[in-house]
Amino acid sequence: MIQAFAFYLFATMLIASAVLVISARNPVHSVLWLILGFFNAAGLMLLLGAEFIAMLLVIVYVGAVAVLFLFVVMMLDIDFAELRAGFVRYLPFGLLLAMVLAVEMIFAVGAWKAGSLEMAQRLVPIPSDVPNIEAIGDLLYTRYLYVFEGAGLVLLVALIGAIVLTHRARGGIRPQNISEQVKRRPQDATRNIDQPVGQGVEL
Amino acid sequence: MVDLSEYLPILLFLGVALVLSSLFVFGPMALNHVTGAYKPNADKLAEYECGFPAFEDARAQFDVRFYLVAILFIIFDLEAAFLYPWAVSLDKIGWTGWFAMMGFLVELVIGFAYAWKKGALEWE
Repeated sequence: MIQAFAFYLFATMLIASAVLVISARNPVHSVLWLILGFFNAAGLMLLLGAEFIAMLLVIVYVGAVAVLFLFVVMMLDIDFAELRAGFVRYLPFGLLLAMVLAVEMIFAVGAWKAGSLEMAQRLVPIPSDVPNIEAIGDLLYTRYLYVFEGAGLVLLVALIGAIVLTHRARGGIRPQNISEQVKRRPQDATRNIDQPVGQGVEL
Repeated sequence: MVDLSEYLPILLFLGVALVLSSLFVFGPMALNHVTGAYKPNADKLAEYECGFPAFEDARAQFDVRFYLVAILFIIFDLEAAFLYPWAVSLDKIGWTGWFAMMGFLVELVIGFAYAWKKGALEWE
């Protein structure tokens, strides 16, 4: 009962926030609705038993991708009223995309009803009694080790690429020099003098 | 079927949050309707005294440097996402898994050192 209640809560919230993403006037509000949608999708994934995907949605999508979207929206210099004007012109294209998606969904449901091929089941049987995250962890770091290290290399390339493309060395910056600061002793900065009375201090 | 009973406290928290937030939003509105007078006037929203009409949109363009910070954040966030199942099943995967993760971390530390050396983490 309570699971059905949670499912309908998350599902209605998800659809409502998805509608608001595309209908909100302000693109920043759209991104905020998208974040709400991600949270509700994470709840749905938890109900399905896919805890790892739920956590990934919260950690990666809400934490990082939404921030990136927000930055992109704030960095673009476009007139959003002008962007909206082409609604009628793009309507056929949008309808076509929606139809393709609908057909794909129908195919997916049909394939699911017909029973899956379970190719992966032969290679790596999924144990039903361990949690999702443990099942992934058991395989990812042992059997699929090279793929995992390759993922690390892809991340490294992405990091270097982002720096090469967007980083510009700026002149005139004065960064903190920590070793210089730590090396400095009191005698470098202060001086004890025996000041005679009636004379000016020589600096 | 998975056991979802451990998530019940979180669901309860969600319900409490929903009730409290709707109370704070709709409660004052209802109170307003009961006690206040509703007389809208365009002059009530006008600028007065030191105020003046806005020259332009408040939405300012962000610097592209924020984008680099966000990208670096995504990459290290993904690294954390990979650490999570590793930490859960570390006692089962043994030394192989441990060294696999160390290799992964070394790859990212190289990237981190590169970013540091290039000054991508510096702001001004």
